[in-house]
Amino acid sequence: MNGLLLTLAITITVGSLLAFQPAAAQVLPPAKRAERVEIAKGPELESATNHLTIMRWTTNNPGGSDVHYGIVHYGSDPKDLSQTAKNPIRLNQGHAYTTFRVRIYDLKPRTTYYYTVTSEESNGTSDGVKSTVRTFTTPAPGEIIVGARP
Amino acid sequence: MTRRGTMAILRTFAIVVLAVSVAPQPVPAQKAAPAKKESPPPPYNPYPTGILPADLDSEIERVSREVRLIFQQALAEWRALPPPNLTGQPPTLQGSGYDMVQTLGKLMNYDENMSVLKNQACASCHMPYAGFSGPIPSVNLTMVAFPGSFHFRAGKRTAQRYTYAPWFPVLQFNETQALFFGGNFWDSRATGYLLQNPDAEQAQHPPVDTQEMGLPDTACIGFRLSQAEYRPLFEQVWGRGSLNIKFPHDTERICGTPGGAKVFGTDTTPVKLSPEDRTQANRVFDNWGQSVDAFEKSKEVSPFTSKFDAFLKRLTTLTADERAGYNLFRGKAGCNTCHVDGRGSTQTPGTGSGSIPSTTTGTDTSQAATVNPLFTCFGSANLGLPLNPRNAFYYQTKPDFFGFTPNPLGFAYRDLGLGTFLRSGFGSAPNPNAEWIPFAPSVDGQMQVMTARNVAMAPTQCPTTEAPGGPGGFFQKGFFHNGYAKSLKQLVHFYNTRDVAEFTQFNVTSGHCPAGTMEKVNCWPMPEVRNNIDMTTGNLGLTDQEENQVVAFLQTLTDGFTKPYPNRNTFTGACMFGGMASTQGNEFLILTPPLPPCASAVCGVAPVPNPPIP
Repeated sequence: MNGLLLTLAITITVGSLLAFQPAAAQVLPPAKRAERVEIAKGPELESATNHLTIMRWTTNNPGGSDVHYGIVHYGSDPKDLSQTAKNPIRLNQGHAYTTFRVRIYDLKPRTTYYYTVTSEESNGTSDGVKSTVRTFTTPAPGEIIVGARP
Repeated sequence: MTRRGTMAILRTFAIVVLAVSVAPQPVPAQKAAPAKKESPPPPYNPYPTGILPADLDSEIERVSREVRLIFQQALAEWRALPPPNLTGQPPTLQGSGYDMVQTLGKLMNYDENMSVLKNQACASCHMPYAGFSGPIPSVNLTMVAFPGSFHFRAGKRTAQRYTYAPWFPVLQFNETQALFFGGNFWDSRATGYLLQNPDAEQAQHPPVDTQEMGLPDTACIGFRLSQAEYRPLFEQVWGRGSLNIKFPHDTERICGTPGGAKVFGTDTTPVKLSPEDRTQANRVFDNWGQSVDAFEKSKEVSPFTSKFDAFLKRLTTLTADERAGYNLFRGKAGCNTCHVDGRGSTQTPGTGSGSIPSTTTGTDTSQAATVNPLFTCFGSANLGLPLNPRNAFYYQTKPDFFGFTPNPLGFAYRDLGLGTFLRSGFGSAPNPNAEWIPFAPSVDGQMQVMTARNVAMAPTQCPTTEAPGGPGGFFQKGFFHNGYAKSLKQLVHFYNTRDVAEFTQFNVTSGHCPAGTMEKVNCWPMPEVRNNIDMTTGNLGLTDQEENQVVAFLQTLTDGFTKPYPNRNTFTGACMFGGMASTQGNEFLILTPPLPPCASAVCGVAPVPNPPIP
């Protein structure tokens, strides 16, 4: 009889019954890093308004982390490119080429800027590519510049 | 009678008793002490004229009727369940366990008693015909955040769809990728760190959110469940006696007072329980989240029955526009870099300028990575959306009847999303991992990449989100975390043209696009958060037709193609007619006031945003 009660007690004790399925995470492993990353196009001015300038360039797909940062080092003095702008992009692992685009805010109008671009993985590891120093000139007040299109 | 015979009879009797005792049967709800008839507290209405939609009261009542109808449906489903068969070691509800916990979750989801004033269920802001997102068209069109149990406190973001939320992993900082993945909520604050299930932890937040269901103490969930008609089902699933908690006599009053009320001070456990009872109440609160999660993962919510699923199984074909949209989705439009479709795509050489392959003509040569692609990367991104001045949150700057002020920062609030969560900042939740705090500046402005599935879900009688709609009209939804886009056309147009210089040159806030331009068509206001804007999209070069094709593809991701989607037909409100998808809702744009600098309570919390956010 005691055994029966024990059986019943165990039977009606509902613990953590329902094992929930583990999330079917779809986080893909990062792509293999490219042996060498080279700029295939650009860098160039995509557009410039009085408050926002966008630079763009294309490299072979660098691989590595899904998110990469495009980085622009710039300044109005070619010897002082100490200002930095950076933006993330997401790699498409199946694509041979990757386009980086970076936003730079509130530049002075009608001013020539010097710049160079680099890129890195989300952990800060450089892709090992750096452009030569180039220039662009911002538009006059009230004007816009439309440069490279996708 | 032999001893063996006696034991056999006793055993049979015991089994019958057990079966009867645990079989689903309606029992009268435990009567709470009769509450004194008190006049309801005056509603909280700090809003300027026009912020609350004119039909808000009647629409809340309409949704309440729909919620109660589905609750009755769930009760009937519970009563139709077979007798439970708890057996094995560890004990398992053999055969019907899945149905039982999912039905329990459904009952909870549609139970209005789970809110402070017993007038709001989870479903009140998440109805099936909207893909379990916001069910009131006029709210989606205007105030964005849904009003809570205490009218009219409101949150700050659109109601996220439940569908496929249970598939998100526990929030993790992936060391290899140096990126965050997973969690639930727009800002990923439901990490899943304790239950190892972010969706279950997500379900724990709204009941005790001051601006949502408003319960002042997590123990109030156990208290209300102990009074619920379906208490027997809870105890069958989670254990007999699991709701036997000795609640003090003032629990009814405490659980009927909205969270944040001055009377509570900083006390988050105003229901005074013994340590043992508090532990038990905490477990009930966990079981609440787990049950709701089971419902959200069930075929009733996340069934993989879309046209796209049928297409993957070669049971149907896509139309020419849908097929073109699919190719754009994983090609030129770049959508599948974040809304991962489970397949890869390649670029075709020689198709872009300067002999660099464009993404326009990508071909799918890969094998499907998953049977049921989820159309999310589980990551987060800042898309650079403009501040939406219609968001009710900005206006809740005065104390309500209970002495609670939802947003003392007013328009100095900035929604930094994941960044604010990592800082355990204002309007989010405590971050349970101190190691993540230094990453806050790198994720400021980021919101979760939701699954694209069911983004286009709308009620049966007006089955599109796009104006002017078909013969039955359209259903108004709000898209993105702040509801800025009112149609999928606008959503795709934003990804396509956010950075087009001709559209962004004005440097204005919403409502201030100059004469001769049309906001959301050829004028985009400045981003609310400049930092960390994802530049994968923004200047895609899609034509108007291509945008429409992407929308056509998104509509193939709506469940209910191969089997009817449960309760998609429960909408009893009015469909909308007329207009155009590209300008849908523009008649409700209002002027953004001059914005004060970002409040120190948001932007002054270390590690501060870098560069500083204006």
